[in-house]
Amino acid sequence: MNTAMDDGRQESPGEQTLSFPPVTDDDLTGAPQTAGGAPRPPHDPADPAPRHPPEPDPDRPEARAPRPEPGLAGAGSREAGPASPSLFDSRAPFEEPPARRPSLFEKPAVLRRPPEAGRPEPGHRPPPGFDEPERPSERPSLFVRPAALGGPDARTAPRAEAAAEPEPQNPPLSSDSSATARPTRPSTTPDTPEAASTGTPATPEEPDAEASPGPAHSAVSEPEAATEPESEGAPESEGAPEAEGASEADSAPEAEGAPEPASAPVSEPASVAVPEPVTEPAPGDVAEPGAAAESEAVAEAAEVRAEADTTAEIAADEADLDAEVRTDAGAETDAGSDTDTGTETDAGSDTETDSDTDAGTDTETDSDTDAEAETAAEQAGTEVEKPGAEPGTEAEAEVGPGERLEELPAEAAEALMEAIGTLREAVADLSFGLDLPGSEEARQARADLLAQLENYVLPRVRTRTAPALIVIAGSTGAGKSTLVNSLAEKNVSRTGVRRPTTGTPVLVCHPDDHEWFAKGDLLSGLERLDRPAPAPATSGTGGLVITATEKLPQGVALLDTPDIDSVVEEHHEVAHRMLDAADLWIFVTTAARYADAPAWNLLRLAKERGARLAIVLSRVQQKSADVVLKHFVRMLTEYGLGDIDRFVVHESKVADGRLPDDEMTDLRMWLAELSVDEKRRAQAVRETLNGVLNSFRTRVPALARHLEAHVAFRAELRGDVEAAFLSALSEIDKASKNGSLLHGEVLARWQDFAGSGDLVRSLQLRKRGRAARQAPERVLAFKAAIRTGLESVIVAAATRACEEVVARWRHRAELGAKLGADLDRPSDNLVRHTGRAIASWQEHLGELVRTEGVAKRSVSKLVSFDPESLALIFMVAMFSGGNGEGVPHRLVNALLGAESLRGIGAKAFSDLRARIGMLFDEEAMRYVQVLDAAGIPDESVATRLYQATYNLEVVR
Amino acid sequence: MTTTTTTRPGLAPRLTALSKVVELGPGRLDNKLLNEANALLKRAGARLKLSSEHTVVALAGGTGSGKSSLFNAISGLDLSPTGVRRPTTARTHACVWGLEGAGPLLDWLQIQERHRFSRASALDKGDGQLHGLILLDLPDHDSIRALTDTEADRLIGLADLVVWVLDPQKYADASTHRRYVTELAGHDAVTVFALNQADRLTTEELAELVIDLNDLLRREGVEHPSVVPTSAATGRGIESLKSVIATAVARRRAAIQKLEADLHRLEQKLSKAMPMGEALSVPSTVDEARRMGLTDALCDAVGVPAVGEAMENVYAERSSRWVGWPYPRWIDKLRPDPLKSLRLDDVGQEIRGIATTSVSAQSAEVANAVQAMADGLSMGMQPVWRAAVHQAARSRAKQLPQALTEDLAEVAPALDRVPGWWRALKVWQYFLVVAFVAGLAWLAVGLLMPGALPSSLALLGDTATLPWVGLMMVSVLGLGALSGIASRNFVELGASRERERLEREMRRRVAAVAATMVVEPVERELGRHHAFYTALRDLSV
Repeated sequence: MNTAMDDGRQESPGEQTLSFPPVTDDDLTGAPQTAGGAPRPPHDPADPAPRHPPEPDPDRPEARAPRPEPGLAGAGSREAGPASPSLFDSRAPFEEPPARRPSLFEKPAVLRRPPEAGRPEPGHRPPPGFDEPERPSERPSLFVRPAALGGPDARTAPRAEAAAEPEPQNPPLSSDSSATARPTRPSTTPDTPEAASTGTPATPEEPDAEASPGPAHSAVSEPEAATEPESEGAPESEGAPEAEGASEADSAPEAEGAPEPASAPVSEPASVAVPEPVTEPAPGDVAEPGAAAESEAVAEAAEVRAEADTTAEIAADEADLDAEVRTDAGAETDAGSDTDTGTETDAGSDTETDSDTDAGTDTETDSDTDAEAETAAEQAGTEVEKPGAEPGTEAEAEVGPGERLEELPAEAAEALMEAIGTLREAVADLSFGLDLPGSEEARQARADLLAQLENYVLPRVRTRTAPALIVIAGSTGAGKSTLVNSLAEKNVSRTGVRRPTTGTPVLVCHPDDHEWFAKGDLLSGLERLDRPAPAPATSGTGGLVITATEKLPQGVALLDTPDIDSVVEEHHEVAHRMLDAADLWIFVTTAARYADAPAWNLLRLAKERGARLAIVLSRVQQKSADVVLKHFVRMLTEYGLGDIDRFVVHESKVADGRLPDDEMTDLRMWLAELSVDEKRRAQAVRETLNGVLNSFRTRVPALARHLEAHVAFRAELRGDVEAAFLSALSEIDKASKNGSLLHGEVLARWQDFAGSGDLVRSLQLRKRGRAARQAPERVLAFKAAIRTGLESVIVAAATRACEEVVARWRHRAELGAKLGADLDRPSDNLVRHTGRAIASWQEHLGELVRTEGVAKRSVSKLVSFDPESLALIFMVAMFSGGNGEGVPHRLVNALLGAESLRGIGAKAFSDLRARIGMLFDEEAMRYVQVLDAAGIPDESVATRLYQATYNLEVVR
Repeated sequence: MTTTTTTRPGLAPRLTALSKVVELGPGRLDNKLLNEANALLKRAGARLKLSSEHTVVALAGGTGSGKSSLFNAISGLDLSPTGVRRPTTARTHACVWGLEGAGPLLDWLQIQERHRFSRASALDKGDGQLHGLILLDLPDHDSIRALTDTEADRLIGLADLVVWVLDPQKYADASTHRRYVTELAGHDAVTVFALNQADRLTTEELAELVIDLNDLLRREGVEHPSVVPTSAATGRGIESLKSVIATAVARRRAAIQKLEADLHRLEQKLSKAMPMGEALSVPSTVDEARRMGLTDALCDAVGVPAVGEAMENVYAERSSRWVGWPYPRWIDKLRPDPLKSLRLDDVGQEIRGIATTSVSAQSAEVANAVQAMADGLSMGMQPVWRAAVHQAARSRAKQLPQALTEDLAEVAPALDRVPGWWRALKVWQYFLVVAFVAGLAWLAVGLLMPGALPSSLALLGDTATLPWVGLMMVSVLGLGALSGIASRNFVELGASRERERLEREMRRRVAAVAATMVVEPVERELGRHHAFYTALRDLSV
């Protein structure tokens, strides 16, 4: 279940409503997994409940029970919360680590949800193409598969542990079974535990850091929190933070009317799945104190996170609702509410209990609360770190959100590098041989992915402190080059009236950074040029111009890109490549263009990737500025990008390819800030990187899925071939048994043979000893007739099979028709091979009759027979089927005896079938060869992809 | 203007050809293409029925290029709202110069009543030259709104003349060029490019831009782009745009030219999907050689030659029992019968009974025969058509073996038949046998008891006759043997003559069955194939 949630989170940034259905899907898919683990029982209550309506019932009482208890216990005193962790301590701390990772995946989803959900109002849904339909399908796969591949072990195990842990606590409170009671309690409980978790454990865990780049922090910390509180007890740090958190938390629950706040600490651990909620609330509580200080940063983080979290899950929805409800009570309460929702969702509890509030109103508050929560979480993380360090071996990895980048230990970085390296290899090995619908996109996606891995991710991970690359992208004629020139106060990029103008990307940086860009790995795939190639329209793809200017602040570099929407389509690709390598995006559009579809596609991409984004609206006429800006902002807000940094550049005289300075002030300031504030820059860089890494969660599995579609398609085609030839074989079987072979010439020849007395003549009394070779030509003709008859049956069946295959292929896809273009006829060799096969079968049968058909002793004394003729009679008997009443039957029966007759019959039949089978195999091979020639990789490649993605997640 | 009417037959025959293609196309042509052809046919029919006095001119372009401003500038009225918010126009506006007869046309274009305007007086402001113009202001095609709205798309297809309104910012947008301009290459005569917002550029810039745009359009297959720089804001270039439109309106040919260009494009698509190749050289009937081949193959499937041979052999064998000289047969019978020694006497009987009458077709061979013919016929056809021919050939394949069997059974020889002269000969043979026996008796009497006979029978005892009797007996023996041999020869001769007759008759019947059950449907399909390609050729001429 958790896994499912993860998926959801990544994919659907925007909409809750949309995501709804997907959630159900996930649930279904997720359920099976959970079921698999033996240790599940405890854990089940939490997971299954949401997914499987039926299961929950039995489980629930238990699941809930645990929580309530903690709550009760907690109720006694806030400090009790910390105490509860100690309970956990009793368990072995070692076990938890594994458990945490899985939880890592799962939890973030829940946490993030709320913020996002809050933003886009129900009505506003970004109109442009959100691909909601796709999501459902995507989610399940990611998690499910890795699990299936072998990932599962790790996960199941963790869960089991997690589950186990909560139980111990549960026992005390079995009384709370009611759903209503639950919601409140969880919320309360989470707070305390969170506090605990945040305090000590949250930071320490590596998984967190990796899993949640910018936004994820909170999420990360949460999982840890859940696990750690239990294991380590986080006693030291907890005390203080908890107290705070508790107080705040309390207020929230109270607002709702939940008495249990105190109990919360205990309850958290109880709900295994809950980890997320726990963490969130905790941050909130703790954060409050510190929150104020970092509010800005937090807000940003919150945004990012909101974007990053795509999954619109029911959980999220609920969470939102809850959050909203509580928001009224207070920001802090919100944090608590979030946790509550999370817990509920995890537990599988029903959504409705909380959902009384309206969706619409609270969006803003939610985001705020989130932000606070985050800040809190961060602070908490940092604060806690010290304490956490002791308990968690893993703690270091976690590090405070802010410092994480720099402090990432060498091994962790190496592991990350390695994981990315494997992923890169897996992606590089990918190829899509078939032109199935979507293959072109998949190929493109693969190329993008590869380029991004090589040009950006690998270099970025290797040296995280490098200057930030700000990529300026936008429509043709939007003034990107002009903007860059103006900022650089130097004409570094050509401007002009011709569209498109810029074909070669131009990078401008401070001289100090020049070396890094000129020599570094970033965008290593592009050749460094001194100046734009002479024919920008055609040579745009291969180069990168790098220039340095003192006018730009240190630590930031501007990259002017080709357009995204001109008639020169190579430019689009170059632009996207550049964006893939960007640490920050500056999106430039104009007053005339801000409603263009390509522009919004790009914005959507940015949102999906979780990239840091700033928007410049240029060429705005002074007189219409207000109207346009207002409209644009509204569109952005509807799209969920309302709070992104925006700059307006008015339409003004462009002199020498530059805008007047006063238009640039804001942007310059922004850049300077970025340059000076290393922490902020690092954070931006990290967020984008994390966004990119997050995007792999969907992008790589999407590729793998497409690959699997290929594999499945091939399997289907192969299945068609097999089915067709199998039915052909059974057709022949039938024909050879129901007498339909004895028609036409064969029948005439048989009558000839019998009626002309040859048949009788072939039997001779031994005493006479006369050779029975009187009419060889008639026997031969008969034999030939049988052969032709069989041949024609086989050829006809093969022909039908071939047509059938091609028809089925055509029916499946256009591609199938193309593949089978020349295969609708059996091969030319078929007739020849069949003739040979039948002839040798006849030989074989004659041989059988000769050697094994030792006649009954009584018969052989009296009669000799011509084996050749007898074999013919045998064939007739064989093919005439029936019940053995016919003349040939009785003849051979009398001559050979029932026993050997059966023996020979069986052998002859199986031999015939084997020969025909071989013929058909040969025919079928042609199809298989065509399929193989199409170059479809096998399934293991997809498996590797999943594995690599999974590993990456684990390492993060 | 490259597609002038002088080199091409009128629109009507081509449309007729197109309707033929549409009629014959289903199942053979790609559905998308077929729908397109159908749509074009319908559109042509509808447009040609409506006012030919009017020319529908659509202003199309991206959002913010100034379509509405241009619309207002041309009409001289503030009809279509303009604005800075993008996208501005969501509904198509229309302005008509010369209202009479335009109503149905506007209905057909599905322009809402409240967005229709008219410049009633032809003399109004000297716009007489524009009389008959229906000017449309389309919504944009490239904003996020357009993703869900195909209004612009639809009207660009319907309009007689499309004026692409471009501006310096957007003139090279992929959304315009890739989706429309490239697609509409060949529509030179009915496409005009207005480079709006020219006032934003300096003269040099404008010149450079116009050159660039011309190059771009030529690269995309617009051979003679007509580019008109305009400025709705300053009014510059509006007059020249008006005069371009006025020329088209005055000639009243835009509608036809548009249809012709569309037809041309469709025809190119068609001939790409269904390359003409050798298609027309594929015969539309089944020639004699192929019929013969099919008949031969079917005869083999029935086993006609084998049946004849069997008849010959079986008759020869059986006749010996009737017409043969009995003595050797009797001697033969003395030999021990292997079947009897196996206690299979009844089987012996049955074996003789096997050879009765029966002709039957072997379905697999029949199928192969039909297949082979279809293969031969469909050589050089497109796969779809080939499949169709096979389909047709096989359409009655299921009943074919049965039909053949039944039809041939009527003429099939009864192998156990006994002709009358066999019986007569048998009587004769037995008579000879009797004669021989009588002779024996005579001899015995004459030799053994010459005197014991009554006087009336004295002759028998006359020893002088005995040599003659002996001679006669030898003769009888010889006669019997001879007649046995002779009649067997006769049997064989008759059988072989019968066989020839039989084979001829069977072939005739097989051919007849094949003609109705195989050749006929195949020829129907071949005819369709031929007609389709003929129509395609007519379309492209």
